[in-house]
Amino acid sequence: MLSVLDLVGTIGGAVLGLPGLVGVALGMMTRKPLVALVLGAAVGFLAPVLLGGSHSTDVPITTLEMAISVVIGVLAAQVGCVIRRRGATV
Amino acid sequence: MADPNNGRPVRKRGLARLWDIIWSPTSVMSVGFLLIAGFIGGVLFWGGFNWSLELTNTEEFCVSCHTMETNLGEYRETVHYNNHSGVRAICSDCHVPHEWQYKMKAKIMAVKDVYHEIAGTISTPEKYEERRLEMAAAVWKKMKASDSRECRNCHAFEYMDFTIQETRAADNHQRAIDTNMTCIDCHQGIAHDLAPGYMEEYKHVVDTLAGTAPARDGTIDVAQIKTYLGLSAD
Repeated sequence: MLSVLDLVGTIGGAVLGLPGLVGVALGMMTRKPLVALVLGAAVGFLAPVLLGGSHSTDVPITTLEMAISVVIGVLAAQVGCVIRRRGATV
Repeated sequence: MADPNNGRPVRKRGLARLWDIIWSPTSVMSVGFLLIAGFIGGVLFWGGFNWSLELTNTEEFCVSCHTMETNLGEYRETVHYNNHSGVRAICSDCHVPHEWQYKMKAKIMAVKDVYHEIAGTISTPEKYEERRLEMAAAVWKKMKASDSRECRNCHAFEYMDFTIQETRAADNHQRAIDTNMTCIDCHQGIAHDLAPGYMEEYKHVVDTLAGTAPARDGTIDVAQIKTYLGLSAD
């Protein structure tokens, strides 16, 4: 189980990492929240799989880390979707 | 009812005006201009962000707080500070991961150090010694959980030449490979002094991560007492 500090750090790492940044970018590509949700979840899932490990150790990604990454990816994509709806006419 | 603005559009001020400007479609700039400007702005912002982040990885930054003086003094006595080859490991090499998401996590969690510096949690040698074991255990826990990731950025079993190591070191490293041990299992005091009772504390860290640690909330473990006294646990 993560401590509160660990949890805040994990969330912050995901927001400033691929799930957060690419999530917003993918969300800005669509006006449909459902599509944004799928794209956000996909990047949230893939980011830890692709980058979650380390070149020198073999530490598996925990379920909680993965869940946080997916949630952040989905939320970021929704933010991106709102930006698209608010800021674009196409 | 009379219109107080005489039909003129309401002119917003301050943040409300800025908000409107942000969400208004541009009519004076081309898409290419906006893309190029956005790209350059992004590069500058990200470069600046990364540069600032790297500044917080320097030894000068780490030891600029009063509370880090004790750590620094101990570290200066070790092989990671001063050695025959001149290759060094500074604070961030051991305490900050290289991988982006873990690095960001470490930076965010390090905010607590600023809080404790201001609060004076370890501002005197006495307070420091009181907390030494607790602080060490927190680092050991991270290192054990990550398979000593930060150690392995420089040290790798695969490239160790056991024939030029001391016999004791070579034997222990071979044993570590055979039994799947990690660096911190043996090298707890590699850069800082160890507190009394560190072995018990390290065992507790390992047991906690394995989910087999006994409770430490002051409750009495009757079964353990009975076992100690040679009585039946029932």
